[in-house]
Amino acid sequence: MAIFQTPFIKFWMVVLFAFLAVFPWISKPVNSLFNTNTLYLMNLIGIYIIGAHGLNILTGFTGQISLGHGAFMGVGAYASAILTVKGGVPFWIALPLAGLITAMVGMVFGIPSLRLKGLYLAIATMAAQFIIEYAMRNWTTLTGGSSGMVVKPPSFFGITLNTDRSYYYLIYFFVILATLYTKNLTRTRSGRAFVAIRDRYLAAEVIGVNVWLYRILSFGVSSFMVGIAGGLWGHYVRVVSDEHFGIWLSVQYLAMIIIGGMGHVLGAIYGAIFMTLLPTLLRVPEQMLTEIWPNIFVIISSLREGIFGLIIILFLIFEPDGLAARWHTIKNYWKLWPFSY
Amino acid sequence: MSKEIYRSRWVVLAAAALMVVSLGALGCQKAEPPKEAPKEPILIGGIFDTTGPTSDVGADYATAAVDAVEYINANGGINGRELQIEANDYAYKVPQAVELYKSYKDKGIFLIQGWGTGDTNALKEQINEDKTVYMSASYDSLLNDPAKTPYNFYVGTSYGDAIRGAMQFIADTWTDTSRKPKVVFIYPDHPYGKAPIPAGKAMAEALGFTIGDDQSVALNAKEAVSQLTNMKQFNPDWAWIGGTTASTAVIIKDAAKLGLGTKFLINVWGFDENLPKLAGDTANERAYGMAPFTFFGVDVPGMKPILEMHQKKHPNDTHTVRYIQAWTSMMVMWDALKKAETLDGPGIKAALEKVTDFDTGGLTAASITFTPTDHRPNTTLFIYKVDAEGKQVPVTKATLERKPEWLGQ
Repeated sequence: MAIFQTPFIKFWMVVLFAFLAVFPWISKPVNSLFNTNTLYLMNLIGIYIIGAHGLNILTGFTGQISLGHGAFMGVGAYASAILTVKGGVPFWIALPLAGLITAMVGMVFGIPSLRLKGLYLAIATMAAQFIIEYAMRNWTTLTGGSSGMVVKPPSFFGITLNTDRSYYYLIYFFVILATLYTKNLTRTRSGRAFVAIRDRYLAAEVIGVNVWLYRILSFGVSSFMVGIAGGLWGHYVRVVSDEHFGIWLSVQYLAMIIIGGMGHVLGAIYGAIFMTLLPTLLRVPEQMLTEIWPNIFVIISSLREGIFGLIIILFLIFEPDGLAARWHTIKNYWKLWPFSY
Repeated sequence: MSKEIYRSRWVVLAAAALMVVSLGALGCQKAEPPKEAPKEPILIGGIFDTTGPTSDVGADYATAAVDAVEYINANGGINGRELQIEANDYAYKVPQAVELYKSYKDKGIFLIQGWGTGDTNALKEQINEDKTVYMSASYDSLLNDPAKTPYNFYVGTSYGDAIRGAMQFIADTWTDTSRKPKVVFIYPDHPYGKAPIPAGKAMAEALGFTIGDDQSVALNAKEAVSQLTNMKQFNPDWAWIGGTTASTAVIIKDAAKLGLGTKFLINVWGFDENLPKLAGDTANERAYGMAPFTFFGVDVPGMKPILEMHQKKHPNDTHTVRYIQAWTSMMVMWDALKKAETLDGPGIKAALEKVTDFDTGGLTAASITFTPTDHRPNTTLFIYKVDAEGKQVPVTKATLERKPEWLGQ
């Protein structure tokens, strides 16, 4: 627990955990404020946080870009769906297995990282995206093809997690686990090796880091987490089909960690929150307007996508280091206030 | 002196404020209705595609659903209560549909007007658990067997029956006795496209047709030359198209470009007023549409309120048969809402299952009937074609038997 050092941080962590624990019980009034089911949103955010942590380890810490994480999430979702539906494996075994299978797939597609860097690796992982998508769609006997698979909600020893509230606790258990793991990873030998590779891989090799091993390891750890996110997602939405795991999801994951702040543990969290909330928040004015002019929603819903893109561009221009960096600036400002120079 | 002025100003200000407040209060009192406060409106949910790959047909559908609510409220609402719809776009993405469904559920909505095959099938188990009546724009045959999907309803002839009707039409119009017709199925690799294909193939085999290789053309395809070149070697007499209007137009244009003599039978979502506009004269005498609904503006009694609504709200817009489809769905729903004994999912379901020979005023090819064991609305549809002048005219009506073994197929 050495990562929470000051009493100030300890206090706020307790507040955060208390809030997370009681949120499902107080979400009703918040729902009317946002005009949507906020508990569902919180669950989605949780799932994306786990996946974004995964990509952050790969891209933020090890400096390897991946455009295949959308498909890797799909591998996790399909793996746990197939294991539970066709194999009859209980959920709590299927989920870690799904993570391991995704890690394996991720490591295989990570092999090109031995030779490729930067944009070239991005293209190689994009190939992974398309190959996996094609397999999900056309390996009909295993995946059900384009109709997808219907998945049962998980049950633990007789308790079925089929409500948003019960699933919320399951998801946030994994969110906390993933966050602690990522935070601690940077303090271990592997984590330092990752960062060394990111900063200058030649120097890392010279000081004795096995670059190839750690690159593949990074792909494995990263895919494992995104696979877990996929498994959780599949059992929550209860339908798995290739449509959800397109290149757009991969781009979205990248956007999350870029907007949130690459290489910051908090960055993945901010990014996931931002990218999930923004489309919903943009829907609020839309719904207000449609109450006055019911027919306008056809026009406005197309505008929404444009505004979404615009906000992201503005963010990248004015805060290129991400939300985590902005948070730092604000914190430092108040720390020194009123003598903030 | 100055102090006094200030004081008097304050007095004037206070008096003015008092007047404003009391006037406001008076106004409020006047605005209040003399009778008891009206009951809360009945809220239903709408899940539509106005920006996604099927928005070419989805936008008009959504407009009609919203218009129909206004019409229903202007004509008495639901036994005096107002109807309200929360319409949202889900861009044809299943997770977004699930999100919308969950937020509707949270608001206590028990009746939803939905859209696509993929999302309706994805939600079918949840709506069954939650007892939410779900009226979809997907006429997937999988959804019409109440033993499996008791809360799913739709008002258009099922895709399975449409494709069977199409095969029957080929057999009926076939004149060459020396050989049997050759058919090919073209459809997007998507639940909507794939759903009716097994039914169509079974029917084609039963009728002795020669079936060529399937061709896959995506919903957002911009060209279909490679698929049609493949098809050209087989040179089918007829081809089934199971896409939406935009991709159908692409297929027909490219078929004309390649000089194919094939004629096309098109599923409901691929054949509307926009097809001749998009395909130009290449569709003439080549495109036949399976149409459970009358086209917009055709002179039938059921069209009158639609045209009135259209005049009143957006006289300059053009609408298509999609408007009629949503309108019909809303009218059947209205009927059930008025007759429901309890205003909840099971109540509406029971009321819908009592709908017998619902007269759509000529908006559909046949009246609509639901029973507790059969959710097929009807088994009759029009077959339209694009004639030599590019006009869409009805050719005949296809009627299929209500065979029990075709339920859910």
